[in-house]
This record gives sequence, structure tokens and C-alpha cells, in this order.
Amino acid sequence: MKFTSSLGRMIALLLVAALLAACAPAATEAPVVEAPTEAVAAPTEAPATEVPPTEVPEPVDFTTWFEFDEKNEDPAADGRVGNEYLRNTIPQFNEAFAGKWNWVNQPKAYDKMETELVAAVQAGAEVPDIYEMLSDSVNAFAQNGTVQDLREWAEAQPWFADLDPSALKACTAPDGALLCIPMTQRPQAVYVWTDRYPNGFPKTPEDFLTQAEALKAEGKYAITFYGSTEKGGSGINRAMFTTLSSFGGGLDDGNGNMLLNTPENIAAIEFLREIVAKGYAPEAVFAGKFQEEEYFKDSSAGAFPTGLNGYLYLFPLTAPNGTPYDTNTSQDFLNALEAGDIYLSPFVSVEGVQPGCNTTATGLAIPVGAKNVEAAHDFISWVMTPEQNANYVVGPGGGLPALKTTQSDPRFQSTFYQQASETIGASACRPWYGSLLRPAEAKELVMNTIYKLIKEDPTADIAAELTKTQEEYNQGN
Amino acid sequence: MQHTKPPRKPLRFLRNSLPFWLILPTVIFLFVVQVYPALYTVWLSLQERQPSGWTFVGLKNFDRLFNMSIFGESAGHTIIFLVSHVILTMVGAFIIAFLLSRKIRFTGFYITVLFIPWIIAQIIVGLVFRLLVAPDYGLLAGLLQNPDLFPPNGLSVLTASRPLPWFGEFPFPPSPAMILLIIASTWRAIPFVTLLLLGAIEMVPGEVLESAMIDGASLWQSIRYIMIPLILPTIIVSILSLTLNAMNGVGLIFSLTDGGPGTSTNILSFTLYTIGWGQLQFGRAAALALIMAVINWILIAGILRNNSSEGETN
Repeated sequence: MKFTSSLGRMIALLLVAALLAACAPAATEAPVVEAPTEAVAAPTEAPATEVPPTEVPEPVDFTTWFEFDEKNEDPAADGRVGNEYLRNTIPQFNEAFAGKWNWVNQPKAYDKMETELVAAVQAGAEVPDIYEMLSDSVNAFAQNGTVQDLREWAEAQPWFADLDPSALKACTAPDGALLCIPMTQRPQAVYVWTDRYPNGFPKTPEDFLTQAEALKAEGKYAITFYGSTEKGGSGINRAMFTTLSSFGGGLDDGNGNMLLNTPENIAAIEFLREIVAKGYAPEAVFAGKFQEEEYFKDSSAGAFPTGLNGYLYLFPLTAPNGTPYDTNTSQDFLNALEAGDIYLSPFVSVEGVQPGCNTTATGLAIPVGAKNVEAAHDFISWVMTPEQNANYVVGPGGGLPALKTTQSDPRFQSTFYQQASETIGASACRPWYGSLLRPAEAKELVMNTIYKLIKEDPTADIAAELTKTQEEYNQGN
Repeated sequence: MQHTKPPRKPLRFLRNSLPFWLILPTVIFLFVVQVYPALYTVWLSLQERQPSGWTFVGLKNFDRLFNMSIFGESAGHTIIFLVSHVILTMVGAFIIAFLLSRKIRFTGFYITVLFIPWIIAQIIVGLVFRLLVAPDYGLLAGLLQNPDLFPPNGLSVLTASRPLPWFGEFPFPPSPAMILLIIASTWRAIPFVTLLLLGAIEMVPGEVLESAMIDGASLWQSIRYIMIPLILPTIIVSILSLTLNAMNGVGLIFSLTDGGPGTSTNILSFTLYTIGWGQLQFGRAAALALIMAVINWILIAGILRNNSSEGETN
């Protein structure tokens, strides 16, 4: 009996303790580690006389979360370009900061790392000192208080004035906080097989549909695109937003509300409906797992709207004339482009509207609770040198460099970059989420709606469905 | 006469409380891994994350959840998935278990082979089934996309539109992708249930069945009126176990359909994952987790009740 009552008392005590612990706020910021004050200078002269060996300070670890893994040397790995970039860059950094910092990278899955960071910050768990961030995360991170505002520090840095304003804007939260330092911009372009569109990619939807019919008669697809609802509706930030914006549409009203039911969006969805209904795109565009890429690789589809970094994953290629590009590296695409078998183009657009596209910046962020902020600052400043910036862009970054100086690097004078600059210059690219503060929720809702309208129920009332979706989202504002 | 001295007070206290100290680690462990997360989930379900931190919002998360179009749809998909998965698994497992109980040759070998799907990870099962039906490249794509077999344009399981619902908004009949999901999950679950049922069938006294046969009962009658009532407790436990596993598992959906095409294979557990880990709405996800926990508790209570009534019968 005594035992029962003491057990009962202890359990009650534990219950209360658990309740209090459950209601307690998560830890906020971890203490900042004081770094060793001076880096060890490289030896300049041999000492004339023997002196007692000075103690070399142990470098302090600082951690990064990249989606790449320097230890993965598999040449067929999806992230091989980034893996190699880290393999080359980590020793360079460690050498540059010998005795001060030691770069430790923790590879993360690209489609999980955003959530993992938000959860880690909220839980007061271990967070990295540097996080490789897509600008798509800006609003979500702002809403969740996940990363630090870098504006004050960044504005004092020599490279800040050299940043491309549009890249900077992509990293800026609605309240003006600078949540990442952009390294590269990845606007979207249309990759086109020359033989499928020998007179250039169509400029208007009407031209496109005419040429698509002709290609269909030859047994070819006019276009392939990522139209799957998988990965939380990530079709939106690919071809779907490109189409909507090329018709003058978009997803928001500029004040954080979703605005879908507009004549422009309706026209864009009707255009997509026609492409799907008439079979101008392969069925696999809705299958996900990037299966749609196969139709561009074997040139059975004439065009492929995707990010400027998309070519990193497109190989081997076979041109419509049968020419193989089969080094099985991202060089295949560049070789095809140099040979004139492929070119880049803006998307089609309606009269009076510039071809639209989504743009994403890749940058570096410092999470709230990062222990080694000084190392993170040093790292960013080191990576933002023109040479390192170029290395990142020609490596895993893809797209266009965020530093204007880097854009004049010889590596960015190739045919690919010339065409990319022209294409982006002729387009009006902007982040797909605009002012929406819950982009992940918006993405899934909108993509499911568009999918329903163009694939599942092509007779459904477009305006009614769009209204329903925007109301559902706006309820949460 | 010698009196035995009563043990000193501290010693007596230690002796009395020894059982408590022995089970204390277990109790603490349970509090850490069960009670604390449960209470935290309740707390979280009443909060919303703002840039300034967590904000108490009362029942707003539940309200938002019930107003999400995907919630009702997911509930419908969950019912279809669970009912089909459980029925197909139980019927398939019973037939196999019954055949194996007939002492045919190589029974041990069959059981070993049969167990293979159970030891394969859900993710792998999903990938394998996906590779079977992937448009144009899948092993069965040639067959499925043959317009003569599936008029008018063939069948692309992973991208096919779902049929128009027969009963208002309730998502029935299921989409081809949902049917594939049910087949894959059934394929994986059959071995375990087969073993459970095989064990139960082998406990049924042979004489009872023989007597029934002598009295003129057909095979079906023997199964229906003798065998099934005798193995009913195992059947019920299997059903509830299958339901719980199917209700809470998402691995197969991730690798096979990722909830698509559209939302046609989006069941509640998958919705929970996407709201929490995809959309970063942890408060709303916690609210859904609580609703699912209530459903799970009802099912667990069913299992316990069944077990206790079984004990009383024995």
C-alpha cells in the first residue's frame, strides 16, 4: 500500500515535470564560440636559429549543411558535381584558415534540409554555422525565425556593392531582412532542340500550338516539363509558374494574399489544358521522379523549360539528327549547345507581356543559434571572392553568378552563358511565391488545383476552382 | 525468550520501496519517450509559429484543419485504403495459411519464400512496384499501355485520372494509383498475417474438423462454422494490427506515389507528414496527430478488449 502510494506520488511528480517541460519554450540561441583571435600566418622565412616550437592552435570546427557530400565519390551520384566541389573546396578553405577554422560539412537531403533546419532551430537543437539556402525558403524562414538577418554585417563588406540587385532581392524577406547572401541565380529558360524548332522557339502561344501540331504529326512531342504534384507540388516553381507569368498572371496580390482567379491565369491554364489534351507533351510529365527529362534527352520532345542549372542532370543526349552526346557528364549539354544542336530561349508569352519565369537564388545563411558566427562570416567573405564565387557557379550552383565582377570571368563568356544572359535579359523573372508567407502550403494547394484542371478534370470550371483554392489559403492569413 | 529486533527505519524504508526503485528507470523512460512527447503534441496543437516565436491560438489549428479540402479527402482515401488493404490481406493470408496447414510438401520452403516481402523495407517495395508501372519504361508499361487491353488509350497507372466519384465527394472508386498502392501494401503484409493465421489454424483440433466432415459438413462449412470461430481472436488481432500499421505508415506512399497523382493517394498519415514536414505547419500537424491518436487509441482499446475477453473464455 505504501509502495503504491509512493509510486503514485512519484508518477504524479513526473507527470507534472513532463507537463512543465512540454510547455517550456525551446532553447533559443546557443552561446557564440569565441574563435581564436589570430590565424596562423604561413611561414615566410626559415628561422636562422633554432627556436623552441611554437604551439600551433587547434583549429575550431565550424559546420555547414550542404546538399552535397564530399565523401561520396560515386561518379553516377546525382550530386556528383557538388560532391566534387566540396572535395576541392574544403581543403582550400582549411588551408586559407589554417589554425583558425576547420570546415566540417554535414550532407543533407535537398528536399528535407529546409524542414530539418526549421525544426532544429525551434527545438533549440544543434544547428550548422552555415546553411546552403535556396531563396525559395526566404519567406518560410522569415515566418519561422529560422535564420539571422545579415543585412547590417553584409552592408559593411566589400563585396556587398558588387552583388546583383535581383539576386539580393531574392534573399530579402518581406520585412527587408537579408536572410541569405546570394551566390548564384537560377532563372529558368527553355532548352530547345534546334532541329525541332529550326526557326527559333515560338514567341506566342498561338505559334507554339501551330508548331506543336506539326511536330505531333511527325510523331514528336512539342514540349516536356515537370508537371507532377509530387514533392509538395514542386511543379509550380518549374513550368507552371513560367506559364502563368508569361500570360501576365501570378499567385499573389503583393500583400501576402493568394490571388489566382484572374483572366491571365485562366488563359494560361487553358493553354496548358490544350497542350495536355492534344498530346503535345508526353504522359510522363505527370509521373514525377524527373521522368520527363528522358523525352528531352532522346529529343523526342522538342523543348524543355527548366532552371539554368537543369543541364547538370541532362545526359546522355541524342540530337534529332542522331548525333550522340554521351560523355555521361553535364558536358554533354554544353557540347550540344556549342555544336548548335541545342539553344536557349525565353518561353512563349501573350502580346504585351514579357516571357515570364521563376528565378531562384542559391545563397548562404547563418541559422539562429549558430555557435560559430565569426567563422560563418569568414566563410561567406571567402566564398564571395570572385574566384570562389565562380567556382561555385560553374560547379553545383549553375545559373548566373550573383557577383557582377564574377560575371566577367572568362568561364562565363562561353556560348551557354552568352545565350543564358540574352534569354534572361529578354524575360521577366521573379520568385514564384511573391509575397506569400506560407510558400510550401501555397505550392501544394496551387499545384494540386492546376493538376486537377489540366489533367484530372479538364472540364471543370477554372475560375471556380481557382477561387476555391485562393480562399482556402487566405483563410490562414 | 529472545525478541527479534524490528529492522531500523531507513532499512525498512529501503525494503518497502525497493520495487519502486527497480521500476523507476522504466517509468522514467516511458515518461521521456511517451508522456512528454504526447503532452508536447497537445501543447503544440494549440500554438502557431510566428516570427516572434510560438503563439497560443486555442483551437484554431483544428478549425483550419477541418477547413482544408485535403483533410476530408484524405479521410476518404484512408477509409478506402484501410478497408481494401485489410480485406485483401486477410483473405489472401487465410487462403495461403489454410493451404500451408494441409501439410503439403516443402511447407518450410514455402514459408521461407513467403516471408521475403515482409523483410523488404517499405521504401524498396514502393520503388519496385513503381518500376513495374512507370510510364513507357516500366516492366508492365507495354501491357498496361496497350489500347487493346485497356481501351481507348491504355492505362498509365501513375498518371491516370481518377474516376468520377459515385457517392458525392467520397473518393470511390479509387484511382489506379490507389489500387496499385493497395496491392503493394497487401503484398508486403500478407506474410506476417499468414504466419499468425497458420499458427492459429494449426491449434484447431483435427478431431473437431474430422467429426464435422464425418457428419457431412462440406469444406466450406467446416471453415465457416468451425475453423473461423475457433481462430477468431487471432483474426481480430490481425485485423487491428493491419489497420494500425496501415493507418500510420507512409514509407510505401513516399516511394510509390508520393501522394499522387494529384491527391489521389493522399491518406491521413501522409497528410500529417506533408503538413508538418512539408509545409512547416507544426501546430496544425500536431492537431492532426492528436486526431489520429484518438483513432489509434480506439483501435488499441479494441485489441485489448478482445484479448481480455479471450482470456476470460480460456
